[in-house]
Amino acid sequence: MKASTLTAFSSVERGPAIAGLMIAFFLLLFLIVPVGQVIFVAFQDPNTGSFTLINFADFFGNSLFVESFFNSFYVASMSVIVASIIAMPLAYFTTRFNFSGALLIQTLGIIPLIMPPFVGAVAMQLLFGANGSINLLLEEHLGFTIPFMEGLNGVILVESVHYFPFILINLSAALNNIDRAMEESAQNLGAHGTRLFRRIVFPLAMPGYVAGAALVFIKVFDDLGTPLLLNINNMLAPQAYLRISSIGIADPMGYVISVILVGFSLLSLWISLLALKDKDYATVQKGGGGLMRRDLRTWEKVGCYGVVILILLLVLSPHIGLTLLSFGTVWSFAVIPDGFTFDHYTTVFDTASQYITNTLLYAGIAALLDVILATSIAYIVWRTKLVGRKWLDYGATAALAVPGVVLGIGYLRTYHSFDVPIINEPLASWWVIIVIAMTIRRLPYALRACIAAIQQVSVMLEEAAENLGATKGRTVWRIVVPLMSGGILAGFVTSFATASVELSATIMLVAKDSDAPLAFGIYEFMQSTSGRGPGAALGIIAVLFVGVGTYFSHVIIERSKKLREAKAIVAEGGTT
Amino acid sequence: MTADIGNSAGVIINDLNLSFGETRVLKGVNLSIEAGEFFAFLGPSGSGKSTLLRAIAGFGPRPTGQILIDGEDIADQPPWKRNVGMVFQSYALWPHMTVHRNVAFGLEERGVPAPEIKRRVDAALDMVGLIDLAERRPSQLSGGQQQRIALARTVVVEPKVLLLDEPLSNLDANLRVQMRREIRDLQKELKLTTIFVTHDQEEANTTSDRMAVLDDGVIQQVGAPVELYDKPCNLFVANFLGTANVLQGTMSAGKDGSCVFQSENGVAINLGTQPHNEGAMVFRPQNVRISKTGTNCKAGNVQFQGTVGHMEFHGNIVRYGVDVSGHLILIDETHQRGSTLFDIGASVDLQVKQGQIMVVPGH
Amino acid sequence: MKRAHVLGAAAIVLSAASIPTYALSGKLTIVTSYPTDTTATFEKAFEKKYPGVDVEMLKKKTTAGIKYLQETSDNNQADMFWASAPDAFEVLKGDDLLVKYDVKVGGIPEKVGSFPINDPEGYYKGFAASGYGIMWNERYLKAKKLPPPMEWADLKKPIYHGHSGMSAPSRSGTTHLTVETVLQGMGWQDGWAEWKEIAGNFKTVTERSFGVPDGVNSGSFGAGIVIDFFGLSSQASGFPVGFNYPKVTTLVPANIAIVKNAPNAEAAAAFIEFILSTEGQELLLDPKIRRLPVNPATYAKAPKDFPNPFKDKTIGAAVKFDLALSKGRYNVINSLFDVMITYRLNELRGAVKAIQDAEAKLAGKTNADAAKLIAEARALVNEVPVTEAQASESDFNNIFKKKRKKATTKVTGRQAEIESEWDSMVVANYAKAKELADKAASML
Repeated sequence: MKASTLTAFSSVERGPAIAGLMIAFFLLLFLIVPVGQVIFVAFQDPNTGSFTLINFADFFGNSLFVESFFNSFYVASMSVIVASIIAMPLAYFTTRFNFSGALLIQTLGIIPLIMPPFVGAVAMQLLFGANGSINLLLEEHLGFTIPFMEGLNGVILVESVHYFPFILINLSAALNNIDRAMEESAQNLGAHGTRLFRRIVFPLAMPGYVAGAALVFIKVFDDLGTPLLLNINNMLAPQAYLRISSIGIADPMGYVISVILVGFSLLSLWISLLALKDKDYATVQKGGGGLMRRDLRTWEKVGCYGVVILILLLVLSPHIGLTLLSFGTVWSFAVIPDGFTFDHYTTVFDTASQYITNTLLYAGIAALLDVILATSIAYIVWRTKLVGRKWLDYGATAALAVPGVVLGIGYLRTYHSFDVPIINEPLASWWVIIVIAMTIRRLPYALRACIAAIQQVSVMLEEAAENLGATKGRTVWRIVVPLMSGGILAGFVTSFATASVELSATIMLVAKDSDAPLAFGIYEFMQSTSGRGPGAALGIIAVLFVGVGTYFSHVIIERSKKLREAKAIVAEGGTT
Repeated sequence: MTADIGNSAGVIINDLNLSFGETRVLKGVNLSIEAGEFFAFLGPSGSGKSTLLRAIAGFGPRPTGQILIDGEDIADQPPWKRNVGMVFQSYALWPHMTVHRNVAFGLEERGVPAPEIKRRVDAALDMVGLIDLAERRPSQLSGGQQQRIALARTVVVEPKVLLLDEPLSNLDANLRVQMRREIRDLQKELKLTTIFVTHDQEEANTTSDRMAVLDDGVIQQVGAPVELYDKPCNLFVANFLGTANVLQGTMSAGKDGSCVFQSENGVAINLGTQPHNEGAMVFRPQNVRISKTGTNCKAGNVQFQGTVGHMEFHGNIVRYGVDVSGHLILIDETHQRGSTLFDIGASVDLQVKQGQIMVVPGH
Repeated sequence: MKRAHVLGAAAIVLSAASIPTYALSGKLTIVTSYPTDTTATFEKAFEKKYPGVDVEMLKKKTTAGIKYLQETSDNNQADMFWASAPDAFEVLKGDDLLVKYDVKVGGIPEKVGSFPINDPEGYYKGFAASGYGIMWNERYLKAKKLPPPMEWADLKKPIYHGHSGMSAPSRSGTTHLTVETVLQGMGWQDGWAEWKEIAGNFKTVTERSFGVPDGVNSGSFGAGIVIDFFGLSSQASGFPVGFNYPKVTTLVPANIAIVKNAPNAEAAAAFIEFILSTEGQELLLDPKIRRLPVNPATYAKAPKDFPNPFKDKTIGAAVKFDLALSKGRYNVINSLFDVMITYRLNELRGAVKAIQDAEAKLAGKTNADAAKLIAEARALVNEVPVTEAQASESDFNNIFKKKRKKATTKVTGRQAEIESEWDSMVVANYAKAKELADKAASML
């Protein structure tokens, strides 16, 4: 202990130590304490303040809450299943056949991710609702309707269409990671067809799939925006929001729900990690190469393309619907809007430009903070020997388990009476708290990007610099950070793009309209009769933000990958 | 668990052609492998040896031509019907199954009843000496153990032919030597027709009864290792089977029926009898005697003069590289304790028996 | 030279006369439940008139707005509260969170319909009047071959089953008023019975009051119970919808008040003057807003079909709204509606449909047993676990308050517990009612 204490404070490590402490303090203030508060209040008697389980008893004794609990569970599970059903044929086509539409499928995989589910929800309602475009056509020509958007179905449909790329990517990767020899050796010993699939392919692909499915489950379980915009309230996240906003921050139910949400998040994360930890599978499979592929016969090709196009249309439906809505004049009980106009866009730029400027400001600051924090944490964890540095990583990553709505409630509770000096406003209603919420929520992703980046930089490069006379600080600034720049930039762009459409925490924290960012603006617009059009226009702008951001992030990563491959200066490895 | 010759089969390949898209990979392959033979496919990477092996197993694009096993053409059958057992380069043990389950797989696919499965699996594991590891997972085994399990998994189903795709390339040098002996012993015990793919001529030489050398999809020569070594049909085979000194040049008839060869750099070789064919002069490093300048040339020998360019002490041999009029001639001299080594730059005489010089076509 | 002086002095005097006596400046913070259409229009116009003032709208639902003012009362940041429901203002008045104000602008009458426009005690002012009614989607009704519903009773008819919608009193101040209006107009028992049977036809209970016009506009459902300006502004925006006031309705003023300890009381006063001025009142006629002005003179500028409560005395005359009564049972009504209707909509719908089906079968026939079963089923559906008297008891109401203002406020039990009791009763009732109705139907 003494020796490591000395190490912790040796002059070489003083800089990182101070940085580490500051980061720890930040995480403490804005993640640990608020979430801790929430959990604490859930177990606290509202009248006496003593420890009690009565709030939980009330929760489970109230049939509405129990119903909400089951509904959330049901919706999340069904979303995983439907998303898998959408993803499976596509994964099958790309891994089993020499399918020329593989690029199309890859693009398909990105499209949903650039539109947050709640943005598309309203458009989906117009297309798939009980009297939406599709059902009107069905009713007219075939005499029946399909309850796509009825009750919970609507949430499931919107979430599945949005999240199926996660499943597709995980499933494809899992299938592609299978050493071809695994299949061939089984065939050589007499297996083929479904037996082969059941005994060999499926078990080997399972862990990758489970990892992806667990993540989708928890994202749907925690989602606040989509149920709200679809007017579904008997689910956990909307109930928490409603309790806090109509009854007040003293209502214990909101906190009980938060504890349940966090609990399930942790459970899902744990399952996901467990599934991926099974590295046995990876080390024994040396070849990779994926499954055996064969060519498609013509009629099979037609069939494949048919399925792909159908899925493409489904996946594009929120985008199509939102575009129609943003340009449409009146859309009521009709397959498409009555007429088209640019007015909504002009309205947005005339009256609602503050949403855009606010978003640029908030997301920009949040993304900047994220990469600074992430780079520092990555460096401290992977390059120093400071005591307890692993906890910085855990702490930052713990934000993954905290749903936005819980973070919002935590901030409200903890900081509503804390006045910021000079401004003389409670911290909970100052716009900066929105930026902090965005920063904390996106930090785990930025951290992953920076850790991946720093692992690509060999320690020997730093040692060479130090050998030639540079101090630790100079080395970090002149060598490490520039070499990490690809990952840092990608992390910045991704943070920015996803922060700009954050809703769950924002909706709890926005106090004034003038402080509101894009996502909130969309939500607000969708609340007025003449606001659907401009709301949709704002939504399209949001999608463009995210789309452009994702594209640039992709380009940056590809470019830095190519640079690395081309140079290949340093010996392999690079970790301490 | 023994299989006698009744179970193993001969393999005949007639005029096999195989293309990946536009590229022809196997060109007109004809081969006949005896039942119970240990046969090697030898060649550099890209020669098509693995492709040929996999074609016998039924993997890869459909070739034209015939593949006869025990007289039956299997070229149209899918892999799972062929009953040819294949051991993959990566062993391909399934990580989600125990060793026992891995080995039992083929028997389960054949619908063998459970008690017999257990008996045969245990026997197979016993044969490779790993019965204690039956409940382990593949990830818990060493490379050599994995290889043995892969073998056990294949032989337990009593296939007609055993195919081994570079089974030793993932092992380290010592293990390789030991494993190739074990594989050979196993094969002899089972009398199983085995085809063994390798790029290492030492492996092919030491284990196989006969081998086929492939280059660019074409079989260059088929025969026993000694035959290929001593009578290579072209320069490719000559060079592939072991280090060779090659001199290109022209031949002309000499007096009294002898043949004189003149190398490109003017080195003359008197061959004695007229050779059967045209080609380059090829002789092995161990065929050359190196001595001080001015040694007498024995009858029936050819002699050159040169200067020592480099000298490598290998322990059992000393390898010299001698410059003979611009040709680099390699000499391997067995080392005895106390013998002197020639210095670099020394002038030396080299002698080769005429009979050791092969005339090999090719460039 | 002398003339220049005089002219110069005159110029100064003239220009001085045209600017207000003091230049208004600073920030004006208004807590409001109104949508952006309304707030943005007024904000823009007000800021044009008083360029020094920066208007900030804090958007909150009525109930959330009340909570907000209650919770921030020690360190008040808001200047004004601007919302529809007068009972919300009563709650705030009772909590001593508002200040009195005397309006200077003239031309505003005493009453609109049978309702006083301003708070008699002077704490809050009415600036527009609203009634409650039914809006419908013309295309939807045409496609489903339904006539437009004109009265509340129409919405009970079986033909509208699954085609209507409304918000809940706990989520919308205007909806709360609508529910109270019918309860006051028809009495506690009959009123709740009416609501239950209307709700039995609902497709949905929306999360916010806006969800209703939204649903009707987009054709999600055919008819909705809304505050008038939702229907009127949707029409003005071009949606194919219609609107009507039923007989049992009331015109209630929408109000504005200045919050106690307002940071910028002067600007707040100016705002009230502005919205009651001719200019301000005319803004209400904007197609996006469409509220009934309280200044009768404004109606001269209104479009042809615009309702005029000062001319047409039938609008809103049927019910004399008792604010005190509403205030006294505010929270109980919210909870009752939610527990009996909102959260158990499926069960209620099932029971009501069964009753409707049974009655359809009974039509024209005489079957005393079946009729009796149906009546019993009805009674079960309409049962309310709380009497009118109990609903107004202050101790009882306090249970449903989250914050105890005084230590002496007695709380007899916990809200969650009581709601749970109600819920069990209601679930059992609806299930039994459905059973009885099905039994009756099988007899016919």
